[in-house]
Amino acid sequence: MDKRYDDNIRLLLVDDEEGFRAAIARRLTKRGLKPLQASDGKECLDILGQESVDVVVLDVKMPGMSGIDTLKVIKQAYEKIQVILLTGNVAVTDGVEGIKSGAFDYLTKPVEIDHLVNKIHQAFEIIRLEEEKQTELEYRAKLEKKMIDTDRLASLGTMSTGIAHEINNPLAIINESAGFIKQVLNSAEMVKYSQKDILIMAAEKIEKSIKRARNITHQLLGHVKKPDTKLSEVNLKALLYETFGLLKKDIRDKQINIHWQIDKNKNVIWSDPYQIRQVLMNLLSNAVHALPQTGSITLSTDEIEKDIILEIKDNGVGIPKENLGRIFDPFFTTKSFNEGTGLGLFVVHKILLNLNGKIDVTSKVGEGTCFQIRLPKCNKSNG
Amino acid sequence: MIKIPARILIVDDEKDFVEMFSMRLEGQGEKVSTAYSGKEALKVLETKIIDVVILDIRMPGMDGIDTLKQIKNLYPIVEVIMLTGHGSTETAVEGMKLGAFDYLMKPADFEDIKIKIENARKRKDEQEERIRQAEVKLLLRRSGDF
Repeated sequence: MDKRYDDNIRLLLVDDEEGFRAAIARRLTKRGLKPLQASDGKECLDILGQESVDVVVLDVKMPGMSGIDTLKVIKQAYEKIQVILLTGNVAVTDGVEGIKSGAFDYLTKPVEIDHLVNKIHQAFEIIRLEEEKQTELEYRAKLEKKMIDTDRLASLGTMSTGIAHEINNPLAIINESAGFIKQVLNSAEMVKYSQKDILIMAAEKIEKSIKRARNITHQLLGHVKKPDTKLSEVNLKALLYETFGLLKKDIRDKQINIHWQIDKNKNVIWSDPYQIRQVLMNLLSNAVHALPQTGSITLSTDEIEKDIILEIKDNGVGIPKENLGRIFDPFFTTKSFNEGTGLGLFVVHKILLNLNGKIDVTSKVGEGTCFQIRLPKCNKSNG
Repeated sequence: MIKIPARILIVDDEKDFVEMFSMRLEGQGEKVSTAYSGKEALKVLETKIIDVVILDIRMPGMDGIDTLKQIKNLYPIVEVIMLTGHGSTETAVEGMKLGAFDYLMKPADFEDIKIKIENARKRKDEQEERIRQAEVKLLLRRSGDF
């Protein structure tokens, strides 16, 4: 929320004595505070039901609903509203009771106008501090969530690598066994065996499923951080060109306009070209898949402090809001199993983390998606 | 066409894998020996003539890279294909820099395996042929001294 200033304090003045109320209202208006007005508790609550109000100046002695009762209702229904009570000069106990019931303060009549204005500003200051605190809390919660997400993804990464590795070995045994069975079934002695064909079919189904599992494990392992990562100069534009070349098959059946907005002075980083290529590959193929028959992909770079920003923007189908928080999770996918493993963005996230980079995404259904990668121009550590 | 069997040595600590893989290769007409460790592999090489070694990178004790170095040191013309359950192709590439013919990622496609074994054997045959011819030339030149 933006910081609000004193000149837009929303004020409500409640008093049954019309002459007094009008006089105070006029004098407040002169000092830049234009109060709404109500003549009793009920009208006050009606107004609060319709308008947003910060501070209520409330007379205690009113016919019908008393000021204290009105105060209690206000504090219960509108936590944030601050109330200043106006009491008769003999009724100090009313003021004390009011404060116990949640009033900000009380003033005795006759009211000195500057004093009242001061009190109103003080009451508003409380509201503003409260709002600032709230904003900060929200910000901190968001930041914490992001950190938790990052940690969570990192440990998931470590675990998935371990699992993938352990699975590859038994998978290889299954593969050789199924292959051997098929080989025997295809041998000369089996020519007359009537069940031969269905057994071959079964063995082939096993082989097909092994390929599917292998696809997953190899993807998970493909981004294992290598101890001897070679850092070198990476020209993002050249690498993007190269990656599009690898995606030719996917691009061919669609009409895709690619807008190059790459600044040649903000285009080169010192990093690991193989891992960056993997990142670009995954992001570009996602962008291509997000596009219906026709569409455009915009590639742009920028420089902020010591980082290069690369934006990959498509005008495709977009990502629904409820999915946006989960797209980096492993195995989260909206595609069917033979189209995607749900590991692409997970891998991207992991690689960028290793390269001291970051990734952000904005998306709107029907308008498209924009991925923003941020990488240090010079990656000093090995990641 | 009559297939000339390749003499293959499979080295992996995963016994089930070695067993199935060798049965499969034998079924294809290859001549297969097996070893479950690097040390065992070197022992086999002492006694048998081998064309192609299929060598797992990750093994307890002497690992694939160490075994490869020894093999290439003792039997430089024996071809080695590295096998890895590990996604890190870097180790496999390191192996190739040390003289391995190629590498395969587990679980590997059998067609890939066949092609790679065939090519590895071909290279070894050609190398042996060149050596033979060189020796013949040497012999001729020597005899020409008379």
